[in-house]
Amino acid sequence: MIKKPELLAPAGDLERLKIALKYGADAVYIGGPLLNLRANAINFTFDEIKEGVKFAHSLNKKVYVTVNIVLHNEELEELEEYLKKLEECKVDAIIVSDPIVVKEALEKTNLEVHLSTQASTINKEACEFWKNQGVSRIVLGRECTKEEIKEIIDNVDIEIETFIHGAMCAGYSGRCVMSNFLTNRDANRGGCSQICRWDFDLLNEDKEQIKGDMPFTFCSKDLSMLKYIPDMIDMGITSFKIEGRMRSVYYIATVISIYRKVIDEYCDKNDKYTYNNLNELILRRCANRDSVPQFFNGVYDSSCSYYNGRAEISNQDFLGIVLDYDVHTKIATIEQRNYFKSGDVVEIFGPEHNIITYKLDKIFDEDGNEIDVVRHPKQIVKIKIEETLNIDDMIRVKLV
Amino acid sequence: MSKILTIPSNLNEIEKTIDLVDGFIIGIKDMCVNTNFCIDIEDLNLLNKIKDKDIFISLNKNMHNKDLEIVKEILIKLNSYNIKGVLYYDVGVLNIYNKLDLNYDLVWSQEHLTTNYNTINYWNSKGAKYANISSDITEEEVIKIIEKSKSKLMVTLFGYLPMFVSKRHIVKNYLEYFKLNDESNINYIEKEDKTYPIIDNSIGTQVYSNNILNGIKSSLNINIDYIVLNSFKVELDKFIIVIEMFKTVNKDNVEEYNEKINSMFTNVDYGFLNTKTIYRVKKNDKKA
Repeated sequence: MIKKPELLAPAGDLERLKIALKYGADAVYIGGPLLNLRANAINFTFDEIKEGVKFAHSLNKKVYVTVNIVLHNEELEELEEYLKKLEECKVDAIIVSDPIVVKEALEKTNLEVHLSTQASTINKEACEFWKNQGVSRIVLGRECTKEEIKEIIDNVDIEIETFIHGAMCAGYSGRCVMSNFLTNRDANRGGCSQICRWDFDLLNEDKEQIKGDMPFTFCSKDLSMLKYIPDMIDMGITSFKIEGRMRSVYYIATVISIYRKVIDEYCDKNDKYTYNNLNELILRRCANRDSVPQFFNGVYDSSCSYYNGRAEISNQDFLGIVLDYDVHTKIATIEQRNYFKSGDVVEIFGPEHNIITYKLDKIFDEDGNEIDVVRHPKQIVKIKIEETLNIDDMIRVKLV
Repeated sequence: MSKILTIPSNLNEIEKTIDLVDGFIIGIKDMCVNTNFCIDIEDLNLLNKIKDKDIFISLNKNMHNKDLEIVKEILIKLNSYNIKGVLYYDVGVLNIYNKLDLNYDLVWSQEHLTTNYNTINYWNSKGAKYANISSDITEEEVIKIIEKSKSKLMVTLFGYLPMFVSKRHIVKNYLEYFKLNDESNINYIEKEDKTYPIIDNSIGTQVYSNNILNGIKSSLNINIDYIVLNSFKVELDKFIIVIEMFKTVNKDNVEEYNEKINSMFTNVDYGFLNTKTIYRVKKNDKKA
């Protein structure tokens, strides 16, 4: 019997938390009002955390809160009170990088503690240390190879979480403060200005420029482990993490639904499981950068680097989200997210059904008038469709 | 009075400065980053030539499983030498150290993470009796750490500062991808007329600040066990002058010394000693 890993999704706000869980995540990780590495995201208030936890627990799912900054003296004072408030919110665990947070949480609260990837834990001795301190899960550094992860799992009895999808840091987490030096924004306290995505001139030791066809950059491609999900399940990894607390609902829904499907298919079919290229295509379409397995295969050469002069694709595939469906009239109410028009062939996907391919013959405005184009952001329109849709189903351009 | 430690660039520099300083930070080849002079594990006897000085050994790279046996071997071998301590970044080093009965101390040296006194005290309770304070914090924060820490402490007050470490070979990858030839031992990246040293070696890629930190003024206010001076990319004759100034600085000559250092180098600043980093740049109207 294969042990199914947890699928762990990012959630930047309550809307994305609910979408992630509805689309198949077993747990979400979120940022609270303080001490997390997305200081410039909207983040959750305590009331929102409570609401998110209540929603997740109603589905037998979990919420983890990141408390993953590196603390300066001034942040020490607010730590204990903050941890106690998170405990009151009944969160399932906190994700921590500074050891003083591990200590305070374990000594002064009943919070479960996961060690963040920010701690760059990449070997079995370090894992053993943290296990002995009472940490219940370690999010490994993204530099680990398949063999290293396996060796850790085989030697240390602790839950292991690894990233399977999303953006990558160019350096070891915690060891990059280029943001501090170049923009005065503190990378290890949530202010990272992503200098690794900037272009630079590269000079030789005589300070003469070495010029390639594209500028020098630290930028790496994104991570995608889709092809290796069976290997990772077989290795006994506890939790598969998706990066991206700042990502859109469409991205979350798409990525989660694909990985949910692949994990379930492999666990259910095992030997009969086959890799489906369509899943890869869908993932590739919703990302704005190329993706590779990064360090997993021990290859981290130029194939992992991203030289494109910072041209990133802005995704226009997401057309709308279903707000309501009337089973009697077969009318779906849709909120627009990108331009579409009558005659377009679209795909509708959601957690409750397979992808529906549908031609938009007729589109109506809120008053029932037929319209040809839907061009206004968040415009409400209606379509008639025989297949039953659900709230939060998503409509995208037809991909194949 | 603080002792002076240097991160020397080579053996010659050690010989030329040995009478001026109280000790050195020396790396073990392929096991450390941001440590200029590294010796092979087979050449540890070199340490015996540095007599009556506080010697710290740097093992501060991120360790993978394959490194762990080597770390253990080095830690055991070092026990035969008269060293003060071993600088570590990776917690795996501390875990191995704690399984051995060794007669030297550990230095928590996680470059950018040694930013508060309680975490320093945490590592002290786990076996690291020294800490190397981050260069990314203000003089005021350093002073508070000194007041409230149980550990012996060191802080860098002169030299280029490390700002990036990666396992990736970022320069080599670029050269390879665009089929470019370059045999430089050190490269630079340039942005808006500022150049940053970048090294791509067996461990991966390391990048340094564009400016040299001149913390001589702060050295008068920071009453710490060790002040660290880094000679990376600094000419030896100038570095010797810098060491002498740090040894003899007092309130009467500090302005003169400060100006002298600033005039000796074209790219000098006070790092973060007088500049607080920010991390919230967008207003969040939501109430907690």
